[in-house]
Amino acid sequence: MEDQDKARTCENQLEEEQLDEEENVVTFLDSMDAYLTLIDSLSSTLRQGWLELASARHSMGASRISSSLFDLKLHSAATSLRVTEDDVDSKMNQPHFTLCKWASSDNGKCCSGEAKFDGDELQKKSVSSQLRYRGTSQFDEPQEIQEKSPTCKSPTSNGSPLSLDSPVQKQRHKSLSVFGTLVSPKLRAAQFSFETALETIVEIANMRSSMLSAFDQVQKDIESISTGEQ
Amino acid sequence: MYGFEAMTFNIHGGYLEAIVRGHRSGLLTAADYNNLCQCETLDDIKMHLSATEYGPYLQNEPSPLHTTTIVEKCTVKLVDEYKHMLCQATEPLSTFLEYITYGHMIDNVVLIVTGTLHERDVQELLEKCHPLGMFDSIATLAVAQNMRELYRLVLVDTPLAPYFSERITSEDLDDMNIEIMRNTLYKAYLEDFYQFCQKLGGATSEIMSDLLAFEADRRAVNITINSIGTELTRDDRKKLYSNFGLLYPYGHEELAVCEDIDQVRGVMEKYPPYQSIFAKMSYGESQMLDKAFYEEEVKRLCLAFEQQFHYGVFFAYMRLREQEIRNLMWISECVAQNQKSRVHDSVVFIF
Repeated sequence: MEDQDKARTCENQLEEEQLDEEENVVTFLDSMDAYLTLIDSLSSTLRQGWLELASARHSMGASRISSSLFDLKLHSAATSLRVTEDDVDSKMNQPHFTLCKWASSDNGKCCSGEAKFDGDELQKKSVSSQLRYRGTSQFDEPQEIQEKSPTCKSPTSNGSPLSLDSPVQKQRHKSLSVFGTLVSPKLRAAQFSFETALETIVEIANMRSSMLSAFDQVQKDIESISTGEQ
Repeated sequence: MYGFEAMTFNIHGGYLEAIVRGHRSGLLTAADYNNLCQCETLDDIKMHLSATEYGPYLQNEPSPLHTTTIVEKCTVKLVDEYKHMLCQATEPLSTFLEYITYGHMIDNVVLIVTGTLHERDVQELLEKCHPLGMFDSIATLAVAQNMRELYRLVLVDTPLAPYFSERITSEDLDDMNIEIMRNTLYKAYLEDFYQFCQKLGGATSEIMSDLLAFEADRRAVNITINSIGTELTRDDRKKLYSNFGLLYPYGHEELAVCEDIDQVRGVMEKYPPYQSIFAKMSYGESQMLDKAFYEEEVKRLCLAFEQQFHYGVFFAYMRLREQEIRNLMWISECVAQNQKSRVHDSVVFIF
């Protein structure tokens, strides 16, 4: 009787280990899929941004939009990146990237409600459930970012005015003021595209970090299987 | 007296009118643009342009080409043609031709002042200036700290002096003041040019009034749209509109209080010449507005050539060449960025 119980317990343990290994493989594949989707999204966002910049130059004139107008005076960065170590399952440290956008020049604090966006939600989606992002549109990611941001509004979607009351909008206008204070909506659209691309890059960094972590886990499982077989 | 230009125009203006009509026939056609839109690389564009009047200006440029190189060389051609016409012209045509370049002069002044404010090297800024807007003391602009110095040290000896004297202050030059200065100078220039053409009378006055009024109206719309959501107040916005044009004065009153593109559309659709422009765009969209305005402008500029013995052909030719250079710039950018599907977003066919 005891032998039967022991055998049953061993079988259950083996099954659980097998399920864990399969789950790790699925996690790795999901994170890789999300990573590739983000890369594709970044590429299309950057292409759009560069074309919008060319369109703004076409509209306003080459002398008004030129690298020779960039401000060379010392000033604090409007956007910064914070890197932290994240404990995953208390076993390993995983770098985690957080973007702080449109910091106020007065106090250095982030004035954007979207500044805390750090790709956690996407990571959770890729880690959890069995549903994977197969066949989703490559444009989903930038839209997702827009939806998450309460203060974010596309300047070209409906033509409605950007509220100057928002400190984020003030910082946006301030950064564009090197080209003049009355700039074309196309230049603002280009700024928005590059801003979205920057957020996507941070997501990619976080996704790559989790992908590498999942890959390490799969490697360990393979090694343990091959050790067990020997 | 209008209608009798045929009796005396050719004495002083006949040669140059023939020259400019000859230049006009060298403008790129729809077939040229179709070939250019199918190019895969900038070298292909250079090869296609070698068969046009731009050929001699591009032939010595080494590969790999850059889009700015193509634009620069095409602009050099325009400048050469302009200088030839200017040195052959007598009064009042020579003054008329100089008026055409004052807009570029204003842009160059603002470029130097803005770049200096941002601690850029003056030589680097001078290279970016438009050649049609250069004047002798332009480099001295970098010394000025405020508008009064700008006027006293440099601009007092330039054709822009009369446009500056009304608004001199000792305010320091910052981004907003520079923008207001740009638009105020341009407003004064357009009004002065308009008055000059009115004094010339005849066909020149009639044709140039229409073209300059359209320019003033387009500026008003662009200022309105670009100032939405900025710190520019309604009163300041209204002060930047020119005091002539189809929209003056009632359209300006309404544009000054617009808060979004749909309100601008509502104002402009009351004016029949601009209904067709806004009819091409869907509600809330402003991306295609520039192209729609350029198309309307090209239509009016081409009509200027239908009549003889007036100076409007010179203005029309210069503007059509600038539009052509914009087209080449856009095609080059689309080819360089591998976005040929978007090439027809901003190309305006002239013929």
